Amino acid sequence: MKYVEFINSAVKAKVSQEEGIVLFGQNISAGSCLSGLTRNLNVGKDGLIINTPNCENTLCGVGFGLMMSGTNSIFFMKQQDFLLLGIDQLVNTYNFMRRKEPDASFTIMAIVVDSGYEGPQSCLNSFADFCSIARVPGFAITNKADAEQILNSELVSPGFRLLGVSQRLFKTDIIELPTVFASQDCSIFQYSSGKDATVVCLNFSFPYGVELGDKLRKRGMEPSLFSVNALTPVRWDKIIDDLSRSKKLVVIDDCKSVHCSRDNFLMHVHESCSLKKKVIIKRDLSADLVSPSLDRLEIDYDEVVAHLT
Amino acid sequence: MDLAKQIIRVRLGQMMVNEKYRNGEFKVPIHLALGHEAIAVAVDSMMHDNDRLVLTHRNIHYNLARAKTLKPEIDEYMLLEDGLAKGKLGSMNLANEAKGIVYTSSILGNNLSVAAGVALSKRVKKEDGMVIVVTGDGAMEEGSFYESLAFLKSNNLPLLVIIENNEWSLATRIHERRCPINIKAFAEALDVNYELFSSNDVYEYVERLSGLREFVLKNKTPLCLEVKLTTLGYWRQKSEEFPDGKFINYHAGPAPNVSLQHGPVIETDQSDPVFVINKCFDEKIMEAVSRDILVELKSELP
Repeated sequence: MKYVEFINSAVKAKVSQEEGIVLFGQNISAGSCLSGLTRNLNVGKDGLIINTPNCENTLCGVGFGLMMSGTNSIFFMKQQDFLLLGIDQLVNTYNFMRRKEPDASFTIMAIVVDSGYEGPQSCLNSFADFCSIARVPGFAITNKADAEQILNSELVSPGFRLLGVSQRLFKTDIIELPTVFASQDCSIFQYSSGKDATVVCLNFSFPYGVELGDKLRKRGMEPSLFSVNALTPVRWDKIIDDLSRSKKLVVIDDCKSVHCSRDNFLMHVHESCSLKKKVIIKRDLSADLVSPSLDRLEIDYDEVVAHLT
Repeated sequence: MDLAKQIIRVRLGQMMVNEKYRNGEFKVPIHLALGHEAIAVAVDSMMHDNDRLVLTHRNIHYNLARAKTLKPEIDEYMLLEDGLAKGKLGSMNLANEAKGIVYTSSILGNNLSVAAGVALSKRVKKEDGMVIVVTGDGAMEEGSFYESLAFLKSNNLPLLVIIENNEWSLATRIHERRCPINIKAFAEALDVNYELFSSNDVYEYVERLSGLREFVLKNKTPLCLEVKLTTLGYWRQKSEEFPDGKFINYHAGPAPNVSLQHGPVIETDQSDPVFVINKCFDEKIMEAVSRDILVELKSELP
């Protein structure tokens, strides 16, 4: 099953049980239905599905208005960069709302444009920057296990958050790996436990980490593999504990964000651990990140493996 | 007489806030709404229990009209625990859910879409009542004004959009900052009805607002209500070009030329709702009413 097909089926299953929920967004029930993300959605009793006009700022405000009136809603968005038009609502209206424990849920689920060919104005693989602007909770969905937990606990739950799915992964096979640990707040997932290296994936980097893990195992190494799905800083204890044993760290982060939890994590590592080996795989933010080109991290896995062994 | 008393109460309440403001008792910025009392009192009078009100940074008139007391508002401006919002909102975001004021935004144009969401929620929950959102001639220049009206009309949501048009945004008049916008034509382009209030007569406003409420709910449609008014409390900005001072309409902060000592009337013409209401009654009766209300308001404060 493809990544987008699995997420679509999980969303469908979740919202079909929800009474009085409002699903809205542009073309969510027409045409390709956001490349299949929102295809064939149905809602429970008294719910609504609204194909809206093109008015992102207003749609963000509508979601907060629904939320403050006790009505759950999800705003599905074709490209996360459109959310720039709603920044006022994300910051100012959310700051008003966050004073109180909310009764209702408002989720913005957006496709993060990380395929690379949409042009300069859509070259915004910067989910963490959206979250950092007003400390908005955000979660990246990268595989079957995290999709199941994040959609079950965050898609419809009192409060506000952003959920991001990767355009680059849409037509790839969904990765199915069992977890050995999943934090209740959906911030950190662990997929393997080993003594030889700690591999930490952020944003939508998990497939790279899986590939690296396979190559390390072929060389006889046993890595721990983590995915950090929360876009704002989280408790790092679980990873730091693992790293204290392995002393070898690989961080993979495919985002273009300036304000991201990777830096917060590395600061904690610096304060807590003495490392024997460290590999940081991330974007060169001084490079041309806006011209149309494959938005993919180029990783020399053999070199990484050689460095760790 | 109840409506007249309310007008006087909202006016004197603001004037007392102004006195304290001038004395430097508030840290939060406050936008007084002297001259806006008629529409605020009329909206308060028209609102039903299930109606919801969404406000903007200039909200003191609606908050005073809805709360009917002064001390919690002043305590809020002082950021005290006894304040209307426990000192968490200050002035420009001051809401009062117990009185139906569910959201107040300090950002121009921000509140229209939130109000649309509140109206949509009413439909989902099959709740009675209408949503009223207050905006202004400055905020209607924002793209969100157009977006929100299009969303409201597209979804047949009953909502009254009150555009308080005082002609000014900060220190510039409309003609100094933009082309004219014909709100009636603009609304009609979206198949949205339009009404105009300009008399500052609270009795006329109450009667017409009740009719508009019925129309909006029956026809499940937004409606734009433009209210032409004057924000009283001007000042003069001296410069080489204007040695006697250029007229600048009041925007925010203490109103330097307004004083409780002169009574509740600020301008002796139709721009002042207190002047308008006073003409409906005997002068001596209104003087006594004003005195009594001022004593009541002062008794609320330590």
